[in-house]
Amino acid sequence: MKPKFLVVFLKELRETLRDKRTLGLLLLFTVMYPALIGYVVQQTINRATKSEREDLTIAVIGASQAPTLMAQLKQRNIKVEDPGTLDEAGITGLLQARKFPVVLRLTDKFTENYAAMRPARVELWYDSADEKGARRHDVEDVLEAYGANVASARLLAHGVSPATLAPIQVQRFDTGTNASRSAGLIGSLLGVLFVPVFICGMSSAIDSTAGERERRSLEVLMAQPAHAWELVVGKWLTSASLALGGVMFEMLLAHAILSWLPLEEIGMSWSLTLADLALVVFVTVPLCLFAAGLQVALAMNARSFKEAQSTLSFVMLLPLLPGIVIPMMELKTASWMYMVPVLSNQTLLREMTKGGELGVLPYAMTFACSALAALVAVGFATWRMKSERYVLSV
Amino acid sequence: MIEVQEVRKQFGAVQALGGVSFTARDGQITALLGPNGAGKTTLLRTLVGLLRRDHGSIAIDGIDPEKDPLAVRRNIGLLTDQFGLYERLSTREYLSYFGELNGMAGPALRQRIGEVASLLQMDDILERRTKGFSQGQRIKVALARTLLHRPRHLLLDEPSRGLDVMSTRALRHALAALRADGCCVIMATHVMQEVTHLCDDVIVIAKGHTVAQGSPEELCRRTGIANLEDAFVSLVGTEEGIAA
Repeated sequence: MKPKFLVVFLKELRETLRDKRTLGLLLLFTVMYPALIGYVVQQTINRATKSEREDLTIAVIGASQAPTLMAQLKQRNIKVEDPGTLDEAGITGLLQARKFPVVLRLTDKFTENYAAMRPARVELWYDSADEKGARRHDVEDVLEAYGANVASARLLAHGVSPATLAPIQVQRFDTGTNASRSAGLIGSLLGVLFVPVFICGMSSAIDSTAGERERRSLEVLMAQPAHAWELVVGKWLTSASLALGGVMFEMLLAHAILSWLPLEEIGMSWSLTLADLALVVFVTVPLCLFAAGLQVALAMNARSFKEAQSTLSFVMLLPLLPGIVIPMMELKTASWMYMVPVLSNQTLLREMTKGGELGVLPYAMTFACSALAALVAVGFATWRMKSERYVLSV
Repeated sequence: MIEVQEVRKQFGAVQALGGVSFTARDGQITALLGPNGAGKTTLLRTLVGLLRRDHGSIAIDGIDPEKDPLAVRRNIGLLTDQFGLYERLSTREYLSYFGELNGMAGPALRQRIGEVASLLQMDDILERRTKGFSQGQRIKVALARTLLHRPRHLLLDEPSRGLDVMSTRALRHALAALRADGCCVIMATHVMQEVTHLCDDVIVIAKGHTVAQGSPEELCRRTGIANLEDAFVSLVGTEEGIAA
């Protein structure tokens, strides 16, 4: 004979899978987050690699006064256009139209001052509200290099070594690896991967408790020869398996997207293997059970589908809260973080993407904290369903 | 056989059952008459062990539903005032679900579903999803669920409401067949005609108390009124009937 909770589980699962709206929502949420992550990372990569590929065109007013500078700009792939004489408003208009990211203006006395070895003024006009800040740096680099060249030439002409201008020399060593650098960005992005755990099972948890109560079929079910725990567990496992299915699918999708994107272009890497991923999903199983347990325990007390929905959408924010707030506080990873559901899963995944050995303890703690919370939630739901007050209100 | 002795149940300050006693015998259809709010629903819920009584004793084939609710429920078919269908399941899937919850499985379950379907003349809706069913079709599905696991006791809350003439006859035949099989049927109803045609015994409850028990003829004789409906009104007390 099939165990009763399995009978309930199979029936609830079948019923949920027949609801096209729920399935559509499920699909939307599982696809949305990996797609979002992919989009953000892709944008970062695009932004980082664009300036090298595309050549930059800037406007220079009075270009004829500094032919060497113009030549050096050209060498660095920066094209120069002369818009003619413009006043301030004209330049502002030019920048606001996003025609040029940068406008240089050589003052009328540029040649005169240059020849007299007085600082010859070059005005650099830019719009800081425009996001192409990196391109401004390209132009500034050229200007700086040009200035340094001229200064060296002048010093040499006076018999002074240009090295006097560089009293110290800074040499930079970066010990960060690709993986540890990506941990910051990817880690914060990966946090959202655990959101569907709380969303995928929700409609089934509500429909099988508050919905059943609203449609007045719960009383009949409770009058069947099955223990309250068997009914609760059946409904709980349905929600949990939907959450798990959603998370598994979503993790695979995220894995595929992050493996496919050229992360090296922005000095990052995605080092997790499928085996690592399986491990992540495994320690997420109790989280799914916890989310589903919490949802069932809360939804069963609501009188209608709608009431349950509003309660749940509010309460489901709470477990997600530590996972959002604590990464913002930029705390160092500590072992207590592995004892908070959601946060523990996020921390674990982030540490795993950094590479390096974690040991068994973080996995065990992540697993246990959610499992414990799940048992408490289901215990409460069972106790509640057995209570006489609940029977009266169905 | 269902034996109920002095059962009382109180919810806060409200006395839902103030002392209910009766015996419903096997092989008989017992009508449960009472105005709305008389405590019928509370009584039925107490019989299946969903509610605990404050006082008194209940024995269903000798088993106390408070001590072993599962054993009692295995032997009871309960039709509540709500049908509780699942719109996304077909009638067959709905019946299979409750059959499996009652420990049935495989070919035996399939066969039993067929039997029940022909008993209630509902073969045409067996493979359809229950969404959009008429009132009559709904109550048939619910009744089929009630009868599915061959319970020895049936607790039916207004089983004939919303049924057309054909279906009412089918239901009457089904109940008669169950009686012949030796089942113990308790049927809450408001249709006096049904009581006189079908029921061997009548329990009248009002305000949570048993007011009378006996065959329809006995009740008429006791009140000295020939018409059962008038006899019922006189037993319950007119005012309460109207107030409730």
